[in-house]
Amino acid sequence: MTTLDTGERRRSADARPLITALIDAATVEAIAGEAWIALVGEDEVLVPVPAELPADTLSAWVDVVGPWTGTVVLTTGRQTAADLTRALLGDAAPEMLDHEDVADAFGEIANVVGGNVKAALRGSSALSLPGVGEAPAVRNPDDVCRLEVLWRGQPLVVSVQGALPALPVPHPPHENPHPNGASL
Amino acid sequence: MKILVADDSRVMRQIVIRTLRQAGYDDHDIVEAEDGRDAYDKVQAEKPDLVLSDWNMPNMTGLECLQALRSAGSAVPFGFVTSEGSADMREKAADAGALFLIAKPFTEETFRENLDGVIA
Repeated sequence: MTTLDTGERRRSADARPLITALIDAATVEAIAGEAWIALVGEDEVLVPVPAELPADTLSAWVDVVGPWTGTVVLTTGRQTAADLTRALLGDAAPEMLDHEDVADAFGEIANVVGGNVKAALRGSSALSLPGVGEAPAVRNPDDVCRLEVLWRGQPLVVSVQGALPALPVPHPPHENPHPNGASL
Repeated sequence: MKILVADDSRVMRQIVIRTLRQAGYDDHDIVEAEDGRDAYDKVQAEKPDLVLSDWNMPNMTGLECLQALRSAGSAVPFGFVTSEGSADMREKAADAGALFLIAKPFTEETFRENLDGVIA
């Protein structure tokens, strides 16, 4: 029997690029760094040093839907998210922050970083409104661009991660077929 | 003059208002709107001299708000302040009649570059 290879499967795989082919961590770092300086404060630098996140974290994200579909997720310790909120609000920060303040501020940072990541990708994409809560799960570990930084000494992760599971990989031809064709 | 600032993020509205002040536009009345629908209603009710609007908002986007205003005969000067500054978005904004698009993150210089001549 002859197998026709039309190349269709490979072409459809080519049509869904992985994020690593579209953007690198240095570009994400430049985008996040610019957002921090403009929104958080002129002296607020992000230092690209990996560190372990604390147990109690909060994430903020926006979805990008287009030729590449995924999520731009910012994750940091809950206390750091509150500190970020105070920095954004400046003099207008209330004595006691409530969850709504933190969700608004951290979500807006994710919106600005995500909007600029979207602009750096090829083609026309749509951006969702921000979400805040527990980080969306990574669907395909190969479709992730991850940046780890420190802000005021506290760890923060920016993960640009695909929303779709890995495409099925065609099975490579068996190099050592079972001698008598028996299946296991 | 009266400036309407539309953004679903209260924090971002405060940052826009603060940046207006830092850029030297500190002697104006500010009206806030929390989404595109609210902005549309407040343009009718408050008659602002300028609208600074986010793009992505619930209920009605900034672009839908601008299109609705123009359809209703309003010629209020309208500019976007949005995290989406791609060429594609700028073209859509200009086609709908926006005067400018300020991309987030912005600085007071960006505000001055776009607003000088628009704000008296």
